[in-house]
Amino acid sequence: MTASPFAQVVTVTSYEIRKYVRGRRLLGILILVGLIIGLFLGLPPALGSSYPSTPNAFVSTFATFTGLLVVLSGVLFAADALVSEHEKRTGYFLFPNPVRREVLVLGKIAASLIVSTGVISLYYGSAAIAALVVTKSLTWDVGLSYLYSLAYMIAVVGIAYLVSAVFKSTVAATVLTFFLFTLIFGIVGAILPAAKIDPWFIPTSASGIISDVLGGTAVRPGPGGEVPRGFVPDPATSLLVFAAYAVVGAVLAILLFRRKELAS
Amino acid sequence: MQSSGTQSVTREAPVHLEGLGKDYGHFTALKSLELTVSKGTSFGFLGPNGAGKSTTIKLMTNLIRPSRGRAALFGIDVRQEPTRALARIGAVIETPEFYGYLSPLETLAYVGRLRGMPKDEIERRSEAVLKEVKLGDWADHRIQEFSKGMKQRLAIAQALLNEPELLILDEPTSGLDPRGMAEVRDVIKALKGEGRTIFMSSHLLGEVQEVCDDVALLNHGELLIHGSVRELSRGADTSTFQTTFLHSPTPQELEALASVPGVVEVKAEGDSTVDLRISGGEDGQARVLEAMVTRGLKVITYRPLGSSLEQLYLDRIQESDRI
Repeated sequence: MTASPFAQVVTVTSYEIRKYVRGRRLLGILILVGLIIGLFLGLPPALGSSYPSTPNAFVSTFATFTGLLVVLSGVLFAADALVSEHEKRTGYFLFPNPVRREVLVLGKIAASLIVSTGVISLYYGSAAIAALVVTKSLTWDVGLSYLYSLAYMIAVVGIAYLVSAVFKSTVAATVLTFFLFTLIFGIVGAILPAAKIDPWFIPTSASGIISDVLGGTAVRPGPGGEVPRGFVPDPATSLLVFAAYAVVGAVLAILLFRRKELAS
Repeated sequence: MQSSGTQSVTREAPVHLEGLGKDYGHFTALKSLELTVSKGTSFGFLGPNGAGKSTTIKLMTNLIRPSRGRAALFGIDVRQEPTRALARIGAVIETPEFYGYLSPLETLAYVGRLRGMPKDEIERRSEAVLKEVKLGDWADHRIQEFSKGMKQRLAIAQALLNEPELLILDEPTSGLDPRGMAEVRDVIKALKGEGRTIFMSSHLLGEVQEVCDDVALLNHGELLIHGSVRELSRGADTSTFQTTFLHSPTPQELEALASVPGVVEVKAEGDSTVDLRISGGEDGQARVLEAMVTRGLKVITYRPLGSSLEQLYLDRIQESDRI
């Protein structure tokens, strides 16, 4: 008597979601989302300035933080999902059951994607509703920006799972995932143009489409003149880059997790 | 040589290990283990820490990969078909951790759903196994509040959930207080009474003797002895008797004691207490006592230190350590 692999994936997903719902991480990120939304909506009137007049401009201020929110979701809901089974010894209870490791990984990935999608959707939903209230209109670009952010999130989760499958410590996996997307990819993406290489294959560079589709964020020129905008690949390339990172990350995570031994 | 019928039974035995071994770099944790556990047997896997017991169990439950050989449960190769091989077993390996955000009932429901058990059966069995391990009153509490002993009980409960034909237990009483240990032993004995096959590792000889029919002794990743507890106990050549005299024996008396036929070793343990290692089974023990009385030594107590199996265990471990 064994459940089908699909039924097992559903079971693992539902219990992983329960973990996030009952844990403090989801609460923490929801508080952060509330804080960002509160600041974006509360600061302009408090400072006596007006809101942007178009829905794209209005939502693009929110979109500047989407990348960070996506990375935080990946860090909080994916980076330690695999490594913790080894480090916290829960694998000793879970793995001797008749369930394949790939089923466990797929179930966990599905849970990470569902919870992260919920967080991003809440953020974009709030921004869209606020834009509708303030500007009395919405555009399809807002929806596209939302879809691009979800695509970026899938790539982040894929890489986070790969990191989680490689490392032996939850802290190391979490820290590396965070700095990979907030620092390392950013540095590489900034240095490559100096060598006349377009960083189209760097996911953080590709994530520029999230803001770009809304017309980009307004950048004020500094004393030295105009500030150059970072390289952003076209949407099709960016989506392919996201897909490649997601698929390669997830497949390698599955292969590594299958091979990883539970030996203390 | 085994007949084809015997070979078939052996291959489809609950546990069949063929040349199973595991290396970690240059360190060999398990050399090449050949072992078969028949259906309905309560099997004790003995050995000191680091002997290779947990490595064997991890290989049997697909937690680690073998460097050589194979492990089969009910004739199914654990590496090639892990889900089929693990479907008929329940296992407690080391002291597992559980998800702190779940209650025991939710944890058992998780295991039950992964195993494809119907909902009503999960509920019925969960209630029964939690009662069996005395966690009924804690069924709805979050596991993060639990002590190590309670987690160990829960580990046993989850292993029993699917009424497994084979129960694999790695140090099942580890972390339990004496009362908890006795309760777990009672659970195991009850399962044994139901005809289930039990494969239990332990370094507690008394526990193994109390619960198991067959026993294997492992040290440095090598099988030293294997057989039924009764046969091994009977076959054990020597046993140690702690003897207390009314007066401290003189060196001459100790020398005389050493020359008594059947006395292998004399070890003074205190003013008037001497440990006598005696060969020759019960006849030998009687002869030595008689000889002491004949020589005028006033014996107050004469009692065995541990069992003959324990002596055999210690002898074989010491012998293996010397090699």
